Amino acid sequence: MSPIIELIDVWKSYNGVQALRGLNLEVHRGEIFGLIGPNGAGKTTTLKIIVGLLKMDRGIVRVNGVDICEEPYEYKRLIGYVPESVSLPDYLTIEEFLIYSGKIRRVPDDQIKKRINNLVRLFELEEKRRALIVSLSRGMRQKVAIASALIHDPDLLILDEPFIGIDPMGQHILKDLFNERIKSGKTVFISTHMLDTAERLCNRVAIIYKGQNIALGDLKNLQQLSKTGENATLEEVFLKLTEEAKEQPIEEAFEERRRDFFSILRRRLL
Amino acid sequence: MRADTVLSIYKFKVKTFFGAFRASKASVVLLLVYIIGFLPGISGFSITIADAIKQGGVDLEVCVETLAALLSVLMVFALILALRGYTVFEHEQIFIFTSPIRPREFLVASILADLTSSLVFAHPIFLLYAIIVFSLNLSAYLALLMLSAILLFIFMLFFLKTSFSIIKALYRDLWINALIYILIILLLLPAAGFFIDLPLKYSLLPYPSKFMAEILIDILCNCSVNLISFLGLVSYFLPLTALFILTSERNFFPATTYVPFVSPFDASIRTQTLKMERGIKIFSRMGSFLTLNLESKSFLRFLMKKEIIRITREGSLFAVILMYLIISFIVAAIGASASQNTQGPPSTFFLIFFLGTYSLIVPLMLVSNWRVSDLENLWVPLASGADMRIIVRAILYDFVLISSIVPSIMILILSIIQNVNPILPLILIISTSIVGCSVNLHIMVKFLGKKSRGTPSFLIGWASMLLSALLLTPIYILVVLSILLRLGDAANMLLSTLISIYSALIMKYFVRKIEKSIVKIEV
Repeated sequence: MSPIIELIDVWKSYNGVQALRGLNLEVHRGEIFGLIGPNGAGKTTTLKIIVGLLKMDRGIVRVNGVDICEEPYEYKRLIGYVPESVSLPDYLTIEEFLIYSGKIRRVPDDQIKKRINNLVRLFELEEKRRALIVSLSRGMRQKVAIASALIHDPDLLILDEPFIGIDPMGQHILKDLFNERIKSGKTVFISTHMLDTAERLCNRVAIIYKGQNIALGDLKNLQQLSKTGENATLEEVFLKLTEEAKEQPIEEAFEERRRDFFSILRRRLL
Repeated sequence: MRADTVLSIYKFKVKTFFGAFRASKASVVLLLVYIIGFLPGISGFSITIADAIKQGGVDLEVCVETLAALLSVLMVFALILALRGYTVFEHEQIFIFTSPIRPREFLVASILADLTSSLVFAHPIFLLYAIIVFSLNLSAYLALLMLSAILLFIFMLFFLKTSFSIIKALYRDLWINALIYILIILLLLPAAGFFIDLPLKYSLLPYPSKFMAEILIDILCNCSVNLISFLGLVSYFLPLTALFILTSERNFFPATTYVPFVSPFDASIRTQTLKMERGIKIFSRMGSFLTLNLESKSFLRFLMKKEIIRITREGSLFAVILMYLIISFIVAAIGASASQNTQGPPSTFFLIFFLGTYSLIVPLMLVSNWRVSDLENLWVPLASGADMRIIVRAILYDFVLISSIVPSIMILILSIIQNVNPILPLILIISTSIVGCSVNLHIMVKFLGKKSRGTPSFLIGWASMLLSALLLTPIYILVVLSILLRLGDAANMLLSTLISIYSALIMKYFVRKIEKSIVKIEV
């Protein structure tokens, strides 16, 4: 089965600053995949490229086997996305915003109603469903954004720092929701700084540093790769690998990534 | 007072004010457009004044009276600002007031920074000054003296505003409010002489505004300096400086009031959104009769309803109605006085041109508010795979509807009151809305891209207004011809059809451009 997300040699720069340097990544169906890395590593850029909010300079991104450059709109129906800093239309109520989110994703009207009822119940927003978004706290806004990303029951949920600003109860609900979704074969792709959460929640993680994927796999793979021992936490693994990456010259890293790219390409062609 | 600290705060304040200006290369070009845009009007105005002075037909007493009234209004404006107490921006409270900086250092830097910021917008005044000085062949001595008097008056205004703001912030008692109101009344009272027969006149009172007016008029019309007036101005400047020195010693930092950052160069959506949030809290009740539900039959209608809700709840609709109510009142007053004096074209002329010119501002306001409200929310439709072309069409249609319907109702009422045929004014307003909204939205969308998003909206707005005005020129020429040639109804109908076709073509052209640009936006 082909991966739900594939990134092959993706490059992106902002005003001459290289954000992604030939990033390669594969996310499998039915897993919770975590993207971790220090500030400025390129996590948000990666997510934004996948959901079509940014254009890459070069490379290939496939979602559900579809090249997003060749077909830049329809694939988005599979995705529910929540950015890191959530901004919502303050002038709408929660219910109106969820209706809007459903309509623009072409969800049938009868389904919109049902799903709104379920989502406001799930995120404990029932009392506030007719309140204007301007009156909500940051955590509530985050919940509304996640509810809007789920309104079309997407196969792939992409969330940038989903736990920030959400209370412990909300975080618990979210983690349960992620686990339920992967049981039904759907995929959750998160970017996070919370390494302990990523360790407990994610089936696999990718560590990116300076726009490159320096390690990918489950915790065991990463422990072996970093030679930190089988009791090492994800935080210890992360620190070790990013320290090593700092010492590695960028040119050498490029060469490795190029080898990775050709090996992936060879696998695909054969 | 440490000069290096003052300089550091000054630099910080100036950089903050002009911050966003540096964020986009397009700002430089747009600033040039802004400066050049003023040249023809100011040059014409300056030459007219200089010619009037040269011909000697100027009534000096009336000039002094009028100028003194204008300068008094400036002083009143400074006092009104002082009524709020001393206001600072959030970043000043966080970064400056938590540092070992003395109040006087902060105040001196603030006055210098305010002066620097004002200079950018005051370029028409300097242009006016330069053209008049050269046209009248004034000596360097007189030119310098005039400039010194202007600077003295400007610093006086700053000292007045700053000192009274600090006193107000520190004491917050009723007596300070009473004192400020008394000063405002005293300053404005002689201006009542313009409307009713009053023995009080600025020229009879020892006001600083009167001294300043006398200095300027004497230099310009008589090529001489009135020493008594100059000493009179200095006699106000010195006590105000002393008051500033006294108040600036007090620690007013804990008594300051926080206000959202205001700068025409500020493209920070965060601060503008804060302002918009306040608007939503106030106006959301107005829009509560409209709700976004699943009843709309087509997707376009649904999106248009969503935009109407935004426009209503954020207060834009209220602002449009208020603006047109004010202008209708003015037009009605002008029309009434014109009909008393002459017959025929003037009332139609005023009706058309006041409303026509005014309606150029409405698309700009609607589009700018949309940018503030929805730029940060664009990720929602962009990440959803929705057809962005339908979304921008819905926005544009709503803008055209709002900016056409409100003035059209006003025109119909006014035309009934004034017995004027409403066809041409209606066509002109609708065309102005169609062209204005299309151009404004196109230019705004162009500037939504990551690289040019930092461009200040007032510069984008200025460019949009210029382009709209250029495209509307043929329409206005046709309407003027129609009025001057007193064309009949049949000819006017033909003209209206031509204007409508022209506007529709322009809209079609820009809709295509907007549709192409919107899908390329990166957020």
